[in-house]
Amino acid sequence: MTQDTVLVVGAGPSGLTAAANVTAAGYKAVMVEKEDTLGGAPILSGYAKLVPSGEWAKDAIGRMVKRVEDDASVTIHKGAKVTKLDGDAGNFTATLSNGESVAAGAVVLATGFTHFDSINKPEWGFGTFEDVLTTTQMEQMVAAGKIACPSDGRVPERVCILLCVGSRDRQIGREWCSKICCTVSANLAMEIKELSPETDVFIYYMDIRTYGLYEDKFYWKSQEEFKTKFVKARIAEVTASGDGRLLVKGEDTLVKRPIVIPFDIVVHAIGMDPNADNPEISQVFGVGLEKHGFIERAEHYTNTCGTTRRGIYSCGAAYGPETIDDSIAQGAAAAGRAVGDLHALVQKAS
Amino acid sequence: MAIHEKSLIEDERLLEHDSLVVDGVDVSGHWNTMITPRTIKDYDDDFEAKIQSYVGGENVHRCWQCGSCTNSCTMYAQNVQFNPRYWIYLTRLGLTDELIKDKDIIWQCVSCNKCTNICPKDVKPEGVMKALSHWMEEEGITEKSPSRIFDEEFADQIYAHGRIEDSKVLKNFFKKTGQPLVQGWLVEFSKRMMKGLPIAHGMRMGLNLVFTPKTKSWGKTGEVLQAYVREQKEAAHG
Repeated sequence: MTQDTVLVVGAGPSGLTAAANVTAAGYKAVMVEKEDTLGGAPILSGYAKLVPSGEWAKDAIGRMVKRVEDDASVTIHKGAKVTKLDGDAGNFTATLSNGESVAAGAVVLATGFTHFDSINKPEWGFGTFEDVLTTTQMEQMVAAGKIACPSDGRVPERVCILLCVGSRDRQIGREWCSKICCTVSANLAMEIKELSPETDVFIYYMDIRTYGLYEDKFYWKSQEEFKTKFVKARIAEVTASGDGRLLVKGEDTLVKRPIVIPFDIVVHAIGMDPNADNPEISQVFGVGLEKHGFIERAEHYTNTCGTTRRGIYSCGAAYGPETIDDSIAQGAAAAGRAVGDLHALVQKAS
Repeated sequence: MAIHEKSLIEDERLLEHDSLVVDGVDVSGHWNTMITPRTIKDYDDDFEAKIQSYVGGENVHRCWQCGSCTNSCTMYAQNVQFNPRYWIYLTRLGLTDELIKDKDIIWQCVSCNKCTNICPKDVKPEGVMKALSHWMEEEGITEKSPSRIFDEEFADQIYAHGRIEDSKVLKNFFKKTGQPLVQGWLVEFSKRMMKGLPIAHGMRMGLNLVFTPKTKSWGKTGEVLQAYVREQKEAAHG
């Protein structure tokens, strides 16, 4: 019986939600996760407190993982990939890299994204200087509870966060806004200040996109209560000062002057790339990719969470940069689409 | 080649020597013209808090540079160099050298408060203009205003004697502000005052002007008062 089972690929926030919603509707879910750990990017990259709830990632996402692990109707394959998918909507057979095969009526691709690799912007010093970090590394430092320069362990006098690293940059073929980095950075600035009150945090921006309710809760709060300084400049280069600090060069566009400012830690607010496995995913599942390389969305108004192939649905950051909250909502929507369409198939057949 | 576009460069950035020999080569005259870079090398991290300690500057950290203040500004309509948005930015980053360049216009704010009413973040830009003016006056970046000179003379006499001597306040104020001691209105004023003044009273005034007596049992009150005022100022502005 394949029409009572939904195959969910990826066990991040959207996939975990999809699986839980599939079983809540009385169907069975099979989860396939390529890593050995469930939870997706927030767990694998060790995020600190989540936006906007302020809950620790390991607590919030941990609850989602537990819900699925405790669910008898969910079969979980960790450390496995789908290598082949045969059949059609209502009657798929997936072959897994662990040798098993799964029969399912629908597939939800909750395959997420890949963090931008800062090595691709060498002028900003990542990989060259120890004290140049990414937001995920800084989140890990916050989660560990101590703000210090990786080079020599000193407490930084000044930290700057560079926005749009790997986003909004035609030079490197990333023409999208990663949507969440502004808010995450404002939140990170507050967390740094909280742990290390003597550290001043600067955010170098082109625009600030803390949309919706993130505006006052993150942007205003970090500026007004935590004294984060927002400086309008796209940084040109990060170099060494010669005395152990970093020099951040750019143009302050509001003063119309070149700046060369010393910092102790430079943080790259890295964007969301399409999942690096998307070419493979596209081939295995027979779904199209949109021009940036994310999963191509079907007509949205009446085919919500659809892809270019019938019976295969998607959700969350697989479609493009997405917040955790919206990924969760879309995971629930994709599950609804999958079981709804399966139900319709059964009705039609009887 | 000589630099022809010097008009575009601030005077203080142009370095010229009448005669200069570098490595045995005579580069006298315009051949040695150098231009110092415009690069901003550092921020003064404490400056924002300093301006916040002045009345009116409390909310300067809220600014997000929308430019509503400048757009609504009465003075900006007269002079585009008068740009509250820009000065608030400089204040936030502590770019004091840039602020000081505009020391002769910041005080021109007419307090119409159009900026205060339009500001979406409640920065109170008019207050920031006042705070900046007071900071500049206190740091000696701008000259003391006549009213401040008068106040200081007044207070100094109180500290010293527990009382003021009107004619001495006036005399010292004129001296410090470079005004002639004999002024038409004052002569007329004195003449009218002397008319009908009891001789004994006039003599006492004269004596007071020369000897300046202290208030009874003034003792160390002046010192204590002065110390208190100084403490209060330091507590407010560091």
